[in-house]
Amino acid sequence: MKKVFAIARKEFASFFRSWTGVLTGVMFFLITGIFFVMLVLSYAKISMDPRGAGFSSFPDLSQTHYIFGSFFLNVNVILLFLVPLLTMRSFAEEKKHETLELLFTYPLSDLEIVAGKLLGLIWFFEILLVPLAGYFLVFHLLGGEVDWGPVLSGFLGFWVLGVAYLAAGVFISTLTKSSVMSAMGTFGLLVIFWMMDLAPMAGGGGWPLLISAMSPLKHFRNLTYGILDLRDLVYFGFFFFYFLFLSLRSIETRNWKNV
Amino acid sequence: MLNVRKPRSTEGLVRFESVTKTYGRHPAVENLSFEIARGEVVGFLGPNGAGKTTAMRILAGYFAPTAGHVKIDGMDLFKEPQKTKRNIGYLPEVVNLYPDMRVREYLAFVSELKGVPRRDRGAHIEEKVELCGLGDVSKRLIGRLSKGYRQRVGLAQALVGDPSVLILDEPTTGLDPKQISEIRELIRHLGKTRAVILSTHILPEVSMVCNRVIMIHHGKVLASGTVRELEACLRDREAIFVTVGGADCEEPAERLLSGIRGVENVRVVERHEKEIKFCLETSQSRDLRPEVSEMFVRNAIPLLEVSRDQLTLEEIFLKLLKDGWFQGGKSG
Repeated sequence: MKKVFAIARKEFASFFRSWTGVLTGVMFFLITGIFFVMLVLSYAKISMDPRGAGFSSFPDLSQTHYIFGSFFLNVNVILLFLVPLLTMRSFAEEKKHETLELLFTYPLSDLEIVAGKLLGLIWFFEILLVPLAGYFLVFHLLGGEVDWGPVLSGFLGFWVLGVAYLAAGVFISTLTKSSVMSAMGTFGLLVIFWMMDLAPMAGGGGWPLLISAMSPLKHFRNLTYGILDLRDLVYFGFFFFYFLFLSLRSIETRNWKNV
Repeated sequence: MLNVRKPRSTEGLVRFESVTKTYGRHPAVENLSFEIARGEVVGFLGPNGAGKTTAMRILAGYFAPTAGHVKIDGMDLFKEPQKTKRNIGYLPEVVNLYPDMRVREYLAFVSELKGVPRRDRGAHIEEKVELCGLGDVSKRLIGRLSKGYRQRVGLAQALVGDPSVLILDEPTTGLDPKQISEIRELIRHLGKTRAVILSTHILPEVSMVCNRVIMIHHGKVLASGTVRELEACLRDREAIFVTVGGADCEEPAERLLSGIRGVENVRVVERHEKEIKFCLETSQSRDLRPEVSEMFVRNAIPLLEVSRDQLTLEEIFLKLLKDGWFQGGKSG
């Protein structure tokens, strides 16, 4: 376990060695900030005339629901761009620089390597979440009414979704030597997951429903509504470990691949 | 000196047991077996593509062989990788390190991965930095170091954790002559208490640093033994070159040379205007040079040069390749 932390620390620190980490962070704060401010402003506008905006009565228009529920739903799109940027280097860069060769000769299991890398990424992702909490705190301090239950479950949902996406991104990164390919591949994969959610729009019947049930967004949405369902958490657990398993398999191929 | 603290001294520290590694259909290493004991510096020798790097990568635990076993101190490398890899230090052919880390920081990272206890870590790293001459650059970014220094950082990371087996894949490439001799001295020093296996295609390096040579070709052991043993096995036929001056000397010189006991097959190898070079083969282990020169002086034939063919490792190697001579009398 110590070794997992050693790798995680190194991975985490690498975001601060180059500008990529800081830049990604700044962009993330900026975009999420814009989303948040826009939602607050639009809420303010609608609350002047709820009926005109299609809400039957004013109490329907809870701040928590309107602002925070939509906030997380909107912000998940940013993950499609953020996650490929975070994970593209994890294995691809080590493969390109051939630094993996030495890592494999140390007394480490493959699981320790992959877990360490993922953990470092998760830490960095968590750092990015801190300012989001800041938005809510400011909103609360300025006198907004916040129902903390849905907000926390929304946060949990966003974290769980991000971690699951990171696992997928790390897997894609093990497949290639090029960071660019890794980023594009991860983006493509995440977009497919995102579109799976839209399947029922294509038509009725069992298949579109099944496909959308397999989309992470479907399960994420429940959490943003404040519905904490064990099935959704199990889904994300499965998603995460499945990609962890694929990554392990992928780096194991060095044993039989024609290098 | 008697060493009583070695329970497993009968078995080599490193044992390759009929290791085969195939890439697709092409075997990079085929049925390779050898043993290395503690205190030995073994040179791994072979032309490019002979399977040196593959064998070393297997030994370093980078990937598993297709068949066969590798044992380190009696433990199977691929059955108990975590325990055995602790005893291995590996310097790859191309030293690739994280360019955005500082030297000391990197060594700390490696010692953590190799399980050096936290309280010893500082002193441990300090020792490696000292040993590899990295004191001046220990706070610099690895990406900014010269190739020679990067090679030393590579060596330092191999030494972290004090492994009993050191695997060095062409450790002196890219270094300047002064650095090369320093590194060689260091390897010799390290080899006293460890098993060191070193690959190179610089043949003189082998005779300078190694106690023993394992020559491989097409993934098989071609020959194995000390440099002297290898020389000896080919020295039963030795050549002496004699150069005399003047065209008129050819006939008497030839007659003289043929008269020496134990000499066969006298022939002219080079004929210039004023110089004739003879080659004579002998199967005697006795040095014939004094006899030859004395005889020529006595007969007043101008003698310009007498030399014995010094067999270098290159020649041994080429000869072994040409004769298809394999260890154990097998022939290909």
